[in-house]
Amino acid sequence: MKKILSLGLVRGLLWQIAGTAAGALLVTGIRALMGLNPWGSFLFTEPAWVVGALTGVIAFVWGVGALTDWFKWALGEETPEHREDPPGWEKYFGVSLDHKVIGIQYTVTAILLLLVGGLFALIFRLELAASGMQFISLQLYNTLMSLHGMVMIVGILLGVAGVMNYLVPMLIGAHDMAFPRLNAFSYWIAPPAAIVLLSSLALGGFDTGWTGYPPLSTRSPVGIQMFFIGVWVAGWSSILGGLNLIATVMRLRAKGMTAFRMPILVWASVATSLISLTATQLIGLSFQLVMFQRLLGMGFFDPAKGGNPILFQHLFWFYSHPAVYVFILPGLGVVSELLPVFVRKPLFGYRWVAMSSLGIALVGFLVWAHHMFTSGMNEYLRVPFMYSTLLVAVPTGVKFFSWVATLWKGKIETPTPMLFVLGAIVVFLMGGLSGPPNGVVTTDLHLHDTYFVVGHFHDTMFGGYIFPFFAAIYYWFPKATGRRMSEKLGKLHFWLLFPSFLVMTFLMMRVGLLGMRRRIADYDPALGLDFWHLLITISAFLIAASVLVFLYNFFRSIKHGEPAPGNIWRSRSPEWQVPSPMPVHNYEEAFEVVGEPYDYGLPGSTYIRFNGKSH
Amino acid sequence: MRHFVIVGVLVLLLSILTFWGLEAVGLMPVQASLQAQTVDWMFRLEMAVISFLFALIVVPLVYSLLVFRRKPGDTSDGEHIEGNTRLEVTWTVLPLITVLVFSYLGAVTLGETRRLDPNAMVVNVTAFQWGWRFEYPDYGIQSNKLYLPANRQVVLKMNSNDVIHSFWVPEFRIKQDVVPGRTTEYRITPVRIGEYKVRCAEICGASHAYMEAPVVVVSQTDFQKWVQESVAAQAATSGPDPKRGEKLYNELGCKACHSIDGSKGVGPTWKGLWGEQVKLSDGTTVVADEAYIIESIRQPQAKIVAGFEQQAMPAFTTLTDAELADLIAFIQTLK
Amino acid sequence: MAHTDKQTAFRLGVLIFVYLAILTALEFYVAVAVPSVVVLSLIALAKAGLVVYYYMHIYRLYQETETDPNSYEYKAGTLRLGLWLFLLSDAFVFGGLAVARFNLWGMTRPPFNQVLGLIITSVLLVSSFFMNRAETAMAHGDRRNFVISLVITLLLGIGFLVGVIGIEWPSAIREGITPSANTFGAVFFMMTGMHGFHVLTGVIFLLIVLRNGLRGLYSAERHRAVEAAAVYWHFVDVVWIFFYPALYLIGTVV
Ligand code: HEA
Ligand code: HEA
Ligand code: HEC
Ligand code: CUA
Ligand SMILES: [Cu+2]
Repeated sequence: MKKILSLGLVRGLLWQIAGTAAGALLVTGIRALMGLNPWGSFLFTEPAWVVGALTGVIAFVWGVGALTDWFKWALGEETPEHREDPPGWEKYFGVSLDHKVIGIQYTVTAILLLLVGGLFALIFRLELAASGMQFISLQLYNTLMSLHGMVMIVGILLGVAGVMNYLVPMLIGAHDMAFPRLNAFSYWIAPPAAIVLLSSLALGGFDTGWTGYPPLSTRSPVGIQMFFIGVWVAGWSSILGGLNLIATVMRLRAKGMTAFRMPILVWASVATSLISLTATQLIGLSFQLVMFQRLLGMGFFDPAKGGNPILFQHLFWFYSHPAVYVFILPGLGVVSELLPVFVRKPLFGYRWVAMSSLGIALVGFLVWAHHMFTSGMNEYLRVPFMYSTLLVAVPTGVKFFSWVATLWKGKIETPTPMLFVLGAIVVFLMGGLSGPPNGVVTTDLHLHDTYFVVGHFHDTMFGGYIFPFFAAIYYWFPKATGRRMSEKLGKLHFWLLFPSFLVMTFLMMRVGLLGMRRRIADYDPALGLDFWHLLITISAFLIAASVLVFLYNFFRSIKHGEPAPGNIWRSRSPEWQVPSPMPVHNYEEAFEVVGEPYDYGLPGSTYIRFNGKSH
Repeated sequence: MRHFVIVGVLVLLLSILTFWGLEAVGLMPVQASLQAQTVDWMFRLEMAVISFLFALIVVPLVYSLLVFRRKPGDTSDGEHIEGNTRLEVTWTVLPLITVLVFSYLGAVTLGETRRLDPNAMVVNVTAFQWGWRFEYPDYGIQSNKLYLPANRQVVLKMNSNDVIHSFWVPEFRIKQDVVPGRTTEYRITPVRIGEYKVRCAEICGASHAYMEAPVVVVSQTDFQKWVQESVAAQAATSGPDPKRGEKLYNELGCKACHSIDGSKGVGPTWKGLWGEQVKLSDGTTVVADEAYIIESIRQPQAKIVAGFEQQAMPAFTTLTDAELADLIAFIQTLK
Repeated sequence: MAHTDKQTAFRLGVLIFVYLAILTALEFYVAVAVPSVVVLSLIALAKAGLVVYYYMHIYRLYQETETDPNSYEYKAGTLRLGLWLFLLSDAFVFGGLAVARFNLWGMTRPPFNQVLGLIITSVLLVSSFFMNRAETAMAHGDRRNFVISLVITLLLGIGFLVGVIGIEWPSAIREGITPSANTFGAVFFMMTGMHGFHVLTGVIFLLIVLRNGLRGLYSAERHRAVEAAAVYWHFVDVVWIFFYPALYLIGTVV
């Protein structure tokens, strides 16, 4: 019991509960003193819940101990630069400054959130298996559907942060991130944010979809405020993580690692971080404005007060479109990183692939209004946004063609990580190619807000993120644990997931074209879609089964996996040149970059040389 | 070289097969409007290019996987090919041209779907949680079904009472959001006689799924007939009628929130409402008479019934006096 | 040597402040006499450019000579980069607010008292001048001047907050521009509120620096916290350089 209480996470949770109660009671007390109605439909009033949620988050971060060093600094005290973690599993449940520990914390949190989001999907997919309302209410459907979207997205953001946090310092030869405390802080505001986000379920839910458009979101129950606050706080995690990563890459590269000698995943991570550093502020702002509109009646989006509902959509999509490239760029980086290893050939057109990441990120800033072709915004904006949207296909195409050229005439092996890489390419291709029909205004007038779009983005997110995420886990698992995951179960996972996933999204697109709208709890039986929906639901459950196989494999292999201390993939990358699991400060000896990263098949070449000097 | 020829042939084969397969499956619902033909033309072109691009990537991928597989026991590396600038430029420039052409065609076809016919008929549309209402200013008709004459353009001028909705008839292909505080426009030329449905395509709260309304496309003569009948029916209305009131109750969406059997919903029940003392949230009471009920419908925020949410009920500003009278007559029957 | 160095640095600070003052006066004159949005934007850009270059020393980002990653200077450089990245990110919030202002108000503005706005603006500009003086003093090991200038900066910052929240807000409310009245109120309170929040955090940051400065924790060589506080403070000023014309100068009064 004492041991459990000493875990940072547990302390944080207790503090969060206390902090929420304190904040909410404070507001309730003030309201009572001011003669306002102190109690609301969910015990507290809406302002009390809002303040409580915020104080709760702050209390969590304080309780877990992520602020301690900063307070000491403010008081002029010194703290040791490195702090050794205690051995054992406890370090994963408290504040650690080690980027590897934080990377794993991120990754495991991400998996948990993906499971929760997936569970929501399974519940509402069951509802959709046939027309008519089966077992959940309309409002609950809307809440689960909206939370599914946002929980998954937050899950992906944390997963992206996990991959980047764990790998980037290793790949560039740094012993940690540039700002280790900021790194810990960025992680530790995510769990309370997730809790606040999920607490919306208990506060009446909300019925707006993950986009939260006003005026609907100004009429939803209190739950929507928890949604806004959860996302707002999680956004800060993303912003600060991006900041840290850019600073790390710019300042802590090993000697000799020039821009075009960085592993390709580092390029992808920088492009990603540029987006999350800047654009994320706008989703925060858009949600903040709605929050204040609800609390103080400020009329930003209220036409009765001269506000403009479409302004919200511009602010929201200015982030949320670039955000989709946050989801995929690291994933595509993983694909580019692993392909050469398993093809035993250099990455075809390294510079082009590197620059295409930046290209996607930059063009991605200019396309947001393609989500608003039918919104009633100024009509003349539609054509320029169509041009810019379709332009993204060009750098993405460069990646695809370069991958295929990498495969061509290689010596291809297909262990589990490679299977997921190939799956990612095919699935992302389906998703990517279903993008331009949305991007062409004429056809989008039909496709907008249908299951065609739902199919499009599940393909892109799975292909660009979920598949590469699995590939990365199978590939770097030995680096983190010294053991490898079972190949047999890994292959079973893939062959269950891949076909059922293709069936699911293909049918989503099909029903969408035939008239299936998004975000409906029930559909018109006259459309004749019941059979297809049943198949979609069955595929969804097969996907869930494959995930269960993965989970079993993952947890079993931590203890019982086959030992894999060395460079089992025969990779040239620096992290594989030292034994697994990775030593605490990464490289005992600093290394120098002396060659190109992907020169497979060039006899006598090496990428790095350890120069004997230690850090 | 042999590899390239085989792959090239396979790419062509697969793209044709894919495209043909998609055509055979039949992707779109029936075409019921002129604009649908434009949209479908564009979509078909996109599908052709997509089929080709899909084959272009997947065929060499699978081919490499089969042909360039590592033999067991072979630990050597592949050929050291770092890249090829000419190839990279090619597969940058060709897609660039493709997307520029597509954008251009997109703009042209968009213009086509937006073309305005000077003889178009105007219909005013009001969207609300959760239903549609149509008003024909030329004829002074109000209706819950959208009757349209075939082969004549109609311009819908759309307003929303509460939140954002979206007007979509899948068979017409075109979709347009309906935004509170502004009027959006929807232009369509139905060409196929039949019954379809408007389906609200923007999430708008709990009953978004059910926000549908019939769209009936009839021949020009049938349309004239319907107009005359409706005008006559409207003229014949003598005095309030609870039957029509009940119909309005069902069709306008009052039903979603108000019960007539005494059970509590989002809004107060109508059972026993007439003539009762109603407690308001500011502590006062008011008698449920004609004036109060009309105010409750036209400006629901004016007086809030105790125990109910202030923002919940949308304002129904488009109802005519006759319709209000019908509703009141209906409420009077609910003892 | 160090002495003349210090004199030059102080003198540069004064010179830049004079430029800023002239530009602000010009801006006010333009707004009253020939309301031209283009000229107003150019003036604001010029002012921001002066502050960013001469007060915030953006050039230090790429003028680095130190290469040993374990040295104090290298770490200070990393910190500087981190702070600038943060400011870049923060700028997007204020950019978003400006977008909201131009979308909702267009070429109109509410009838705020322009003289009051000018006074508030001047307070913030003067505080930037003293912040620069404090930082320059510390960079040359002049602790006395550092403390004096810092205290003046702090007082001016607090004065700014009082001016906005204690005078400007009530006067807006008296004119019927409340947060919930219309979009004038909503945007005005959100813009000044978010900016005021940043001033408040800046004040707290300065208080911490003042306390540690009084305890002698900084020296001419080691004062990265002072530099960071200064850069942050000037950034908040730069934001106001754009918000001021957006709120008080651009557009016709309705
Ligand atoms: C990971 C996420 C991800 C990615 C990568 C993408 C990628 C793209 N998306 Fe997608 N999109 C989403 C996630 C994503 N999207 C989500 C979540 C939504 C819904 C949001 C909501 O409303 O809830 C959405 C919605 C969405 C819309 C709005 C639809 C609507 O609601 O009406 C549009 C419209 O233009 C669009 C377009 C595109 C395009 C053009 C790309 C391009 O980047 C694709 C580029 C790739 C290729 C084209 C394939 C490879 C290229 C070649 C082989 C080269 C040759 C190709 C050509 C010449 C065409 N997307
Ligand atoms: C990364 C993002 C991501 C991922 C992975 C998924 C995964 C899935 N999604 Fe999701 N989806 C979105 C992002 C994502 N989705 C978004 C953004 C929306 C839009 C929301 C909106 O419109 O606002 C959406 C909307 C959406 C819809 C449309 C809803 C509507 O418009 O009404 C549907 C419908 O079928 C759907 C289905 C599924 C299914 C079946 C899966 C499956 O792949 C899930 C498979 C299951 C798991 C991965 C988990 C396995 C769980 C278990 C094995 C149980 C054990 C669990 C515990 C112990 C906790 N999704
Ligand atoms: C989305 C929910 C909703 C819909 C739809 C709705 N109402 Fe209401 N209605 C309410 C609520 C909530 C109240 C109580 C709060 C108030 O007075 O505004 C109310 C109050 C009323 C009252 C006053 C009743 C009383 O007990 O004093 C009348 C009359 C009324 N509505 C008529 C209508 C009519 C007619 C329609 C359809 C044309 C309709 N409502 C549709 C939610 C709704
Ligand atoms: Cu109206 Cu959905
Ligand atoms: Cu997008």
